Amino acid sequence: MLRIANAQLWVHDQDEALAFYTEKLGLEVRADVTMAEMDDFRWLTVGPVGQEDVSITLMAIPGPPVLDSETGEQVRDLVAKGFAGTVFLTTDDCQASYEELKGRGVDFTEAPQERPYGIDSAFRDPSGNSIRLTEVRIPAEV
Amino acid sequence: MAHVPPARHLLRAKDLADARYFEPLGVDDLACAAGLSRAHFSREFRRAFGESPHAYLLTRRLERAAALLRTTDRSVADICFSVGLQSVGSFTTSFGRTYGRSPTAYRAAHPPAAQSALVPGCVVRAYTRPQHSTFREDSAPVRA
Repeated sequence: MLRIANAQLWVHDQDEALAFYTEKLGLEVRADVTMAEMDDFRWLTVGPVGQEDVSITLMAIPGPPVLDSETGEQVRDLVAKGFAGTVFLTTDDCQASYEELKGRGVDFTEAPQERPYGIDSAFRDPSGNSIRLTEVRIPAEV
Repeated sequence: MAHVPPARHLLRAKDLADARYFEPLGVDDLACAAGLSRAHFSREFRRAFGESPHAYLLTRRLERAAALLRTTDRSVADICFSVGLQSVGSFTTSFGRTYGRSPTAYRAAHPPAAQSALVPGCVVRAYTRPQHSTFREDSAPVRA
């Protein structure tokens, strides 16, 4: 059986991302390892408390020779434009999570709203990655 | 702290348009959110996102209006004001130019399909926002 373990997001600054995902979003650090033999590559993953087998890798955008400068700049720009990907989070109570995260300084781009599939809200991480926070409520009959 | 790409500030303006289109929001407010002068902002926004901030805000409003026409029975005037537009006349003109039919005809052509819309709201918003058509394209209205 295949399982999803990690999915990766590009971030502009790993320290800034770490602070956001832990202090504001409330995720826990799963791994934070810097490898001197790999030019100080830093493997940084975070995940939700209570959901042990899934995490998000917060990946710095590498420079040459991994990624040429021009491509690196394009990736940086794409993330900043908000089009590099989305994380979909779920919650049992969207309104309560919204209030809690807002209280910790998360700047929402969409306050909770009724949708056909539940109650949905959205915000961004400091780099520009889009994160949705949804209280899923699938209709009984479609 | 790593250097913040200029596009990140432009994204704040785009997010503001998406979040508060229903308020009397203008390009000046968007420029302010990006921390740029209006002229510089408009140029940079177009460079980053391929259309002017004015066009982005207008098409966001039209997209929301179209969604309300499809999914509610509220009046055209009510929908016009509730997406942040001030004039029903301008709204009807912009809507017709964009969707190729009047708001009322558009509604009639789209019976409510509440149960077929189980994709995230962000996807609906992104994929049904119309392309901005200029006056030169009046004779060939562009459908989203």
